Amino acid sequence: MNLSNGLLNLTDWLGNVIMPTMAGLFAAAAIYRFSKGHPYSHFGHAALASLMCSGLLRAMESFSNQAGWNNPDRYWISVLTLVNWVGNVLLPLYGAGQVVLAVAHFAGLLERMTIGEAWVRNLISAMCCFSLSGLLRLGEFWIQHGTAGVR
Amino acid sequence: MTLPQMIVDLLTLLFDMAVPAATCTMVLAGIALRQEGGLNFQTGGKFQRWVLWSVILLTLPQFLSWFAAQGITMPAQGGGTGSAWVAGLQTSFSGFVSNVVVAKLIPVLAAFWVLKAALDAAEGQSPLASIIAGLFLLSVSGTVQLMQSWNSGSEFATTDMLTSAWNFLAGTILPEAAGLAIVGAIFNYARHRPFMPLVGSGLAFLSVSAIWKLVQAMAG
Repeated sequence: MNLSNGLLNLTDWLGNVIMPTMAGLFAAAAIYRFSKGHPYSHFGHAALASLMCSGLLRAMESFSNQAGWNNPDRYWISVLTLVNWVGNVLLPLYGAGQVVLAVAHFAGLLERMTIGEAWVRNLISAMCCFSLSGLLRLGEFWIQHGTAGVR
Repeated sequence: MTLPQMIVDLLTLLFDMAVPAATCTMVLAGIALRQEGGLNFQTGGKFQRWVLWSVILLTLPQFLSWFAAQGITMPAQGGGTGSAWVAGLQTSFSGFVSNVVVAKLIPVLAAFWVLKAALDAAEGQSPLASIIAGLFLLSVSGTVQLMQSWNSGSEFATTDMLTSAWNFLAGTILPEAAGLAIVGAIFNYARHRPFMPLVGSGLAFLSVSAIWKLVQAMAG
């Protein structure tokens, strides 16, 4: 037995076994909070991130591998690469989501999600409750077809 | 000056017991690691001291050769003991360490820490601290063998071994810890707890050597 293998197996188990399982729980919590009209995006994002542990670690490795192991600027460059990734990849995606939300708001769809007139929210919640496995499979499909994939 | 045979026998006994004693000090280091947090250690704390003693014990002949090189007369090393009683004592101690401490005591201690991890989780604390300390304990004999392979055999073997330990931590252990940091960050995010420190430290775990070079460059 050695410490390195022990830690590697622990990380592998947590990242590739436990977290994808927890994704189901986070998705269920997101649906429940959505059905109550509470903020739910946190749990939705956590479910997606749980499915992407390996990919996120690979992303961090690629951020920190932009410079040599003995380059004093390596940490700064890795943080800079993280900022570039957030600014040039994540924010445009978030912006596209905001455009979709703007259209949905303009169409009046999201007004049906409010407490007084919540039938759309209830309908969507029921659909999500009946299709949680399918939603998880959809998330896994997206991640498997990403650049890193589930490993 | 010729040393009395009893002193020579005792010195031989102490040299022969150095490696089993290093195993014992590593076990104590594992216990101290859990006392000091499990995921971290205290500067100048017991964990550091026990690991340092392990390194000194594993490099004892080389450590003493440095004193010999300074002109200080050191007792001769090596050679068998003349006393069957002392030889038996040495065999008994080595057998105790390998058959009792390593084979029986360490797995039981590690099992108790798995129990401790479950109780920590029940109290809402991270179970990882006890799990990692348990892994450290279970791998004590492997770690001692690894440390022996780092013995450069020179007068500076003690510091060389500490350097190798640092390289092992920075190059092997911390990149694995980065994966644990990612898992912790996701859990903290889901529980509305601070997660950015874990993202930042995950990046730092992957660049510890470079940060060391940066600090060296800053010091000029």
